[in-house]
Amino acid sequence: MTTGIRLTRTLYEHMLGDLRRPHEHAYERVGFVSAKVANISGEHALVLLTEYWPVLDGQYIPDPYSGARINSAAIREAMQRALDTSDGIFHVHMHEGRGKPGFSTMDAEETPRIVAGLRIAAPEAAHGMLLLSGNHCTACVWLPGAEEPVTPAKVSVVGYPIALLV
Amino acid sequence: MSDERFSRQSFLGEDSQPIFERAVVAVAGLGGGGSHVVQQLAHIGFLNYVIYDPDVVEDSNLNRLIGATEQDAAGAVPKIDVARRIITGLRPRARVDAFRCRWQENVGPLHRADLIFGCVDGFSERRELEAFARRSLAPLLDVGMDVHRVGDEPPRMGGQVILSMPGGPCMFCMGFLNERNLAREGERYGAAGGRPQVVWPNAILASTAVGIAIDLLTDWTRSLRETVYMSYDGNKSTVQPHIRLQYLSEVACPHYPLSMVGDPVMRWSLSTEAEASIR
Repeated sequence: MTTGIRLTRTLYEHMLGDLRRPHEHAYERVGFVSAKVANISGEHALVLLTEYWPVLDGQYIPDPYSGARINSAAIREAMQRALDTSDGIFHVHMHEGRGKPGFSTMDAEETPRIVAGLRIAAPEAAHGMLLLSGNHCTACVWLPGAEEPVTPAKVSVVGYPIALLV
Repeated sequence: MSDERFSRQSFLGEDSQPIFERAVVAVAGLGGGGSHVVQQLAHIGFLNYVIYDPDVVEDSNLNRLIGATEQDAAGAVPKIDVARRIITGLRPRARVDAFRCRWQENVGPLHRADLIFGCVDGFSERRELEAFARRSLAPLLDVGMDVHRVGDEPPRMGGQVILSMPGGPCMFCMGFLNERNLAREGERYGAAGGRPQVVWPNAILASTAVGIAIDLLTDWTRSLRETVYMSYDGNKSTVQPHIRLQYLSEVACPHYPLSMVGDPVMRWSLSTEAEASIR
C-alpha cells in the first residue's frame, strides 16, 4: 500500500507565506493543517490537506535551543479541532532553503508526541508531520489504526502549475 | 532507447522528462479522443498510466480509433489492449494499469492519478468524473466533441477542452454542465445521426488537452495561471477560449468546496427530541 498527500497550490503558498513570517523570539514558525482521507483501504491512500491555521504569536515558548517550541494551548486547540471535526491534523513547519529538508532531532522526538494526542482525539483520521523547504518537503503520516508512520510516496501541489514533491 | 529520443522537447525544461516519468496519468475512455491522448502521452515519455474502457474494437470505430486495426475489430480486441499496445510499443517499461470496465466500477486505482483525462460520453458521466476528481484533488481535463444538425443548414461541429482544477471553477460554474442538459441526458449528446465522430476534431481536441497538461506539469510557458475552457468550432477550424470565461464569478466554486474532499463520512446524530424520546 502507498500513500500520497495532496493540497492545493493556494493552500501550499499560504502555508509557505505564513511560516516565513519572523517571530519575536522563535527562529521558526509552526502551524497546523487539517486533513481528510480518500481510498483509505485501497492500494493507494490519499491524504488531502484542506485548511491551515498558524500557531498564534503568544503560543510560542522562548527556547534558545530549539527552532520553535509551542505551548500547551496551541496543542489543545489542535486536539479540540480534531475532536470537533474528526479531521486529521498535520503539524507543519519550515526549514528555509531549497532541496529536501530533514526532520531535526527535536522534530523527530517531540512532534510524534503531539501527533499521538491528535490520534486519540480523532482515531479514524490520518495525522502527521509536514516539513517544508522553499521547493520541497518531507512528511510522515500516521494512517488510522497504524502503529508506525509511513513516508508518502508523493506530495502533490495541485494548481498552476502542478508540483510533484518527494 | 537512445538519449536522443526526447532531445527535441528539452525546451520544456531540464526537469521535464523526470516529471513525465514520475507523474501518473489517467485516461477514462479510450475511444476517439482517449486513443489520441494515450498515443501522445506515450510519445512524450509518460511511464505511469491508469486507463479505463469497457468496450471492444468494432468496425465502426476504425474511422477514428488511433492504433486500432481491422484485425482488432475482427477479433473484438478490448480497447484497453489497443491503448496498452500503443503505450508499451513506445515505452516498454511503462506501468499500465488497464481496466476493462467503466472507471466507476473500479475506482481505487484512479486515486493514484496526478492528472485525469476525461474522454467519456455524456453529461452525467462528466459530472460523475468531475465529482470524483474534486473529491480526490486531482485536476481533470475534459475532452469532447459533437455534431448537431440544424434544419437544412450544414451540420455544426463543436467540442471543448475544459480544465477543472480543484479549488477553481468547475464545469457547473463554467456553464458546461447544468441541470437542463443533465435532464436531457436521454437524448443523444449530438443530434446528427448515430453519435457522429471523426478523427480530426478528436485529434485537435486531444492535442489541445495534452498541451495544457504538459504546461501544467512543467510550467514551460510560465503563463498558465487560470481557468481553461477552450471551445472548438469544427466548421471554422478554430479553437479559442470560451466566451463564458468572461462571465465567471470570482467567488470560490460553491459546488465542490474544499471542505468536501475525501471519502464521504457518515455522521449520525439524533435531534434533541428524538434523543429524549429514546430515554
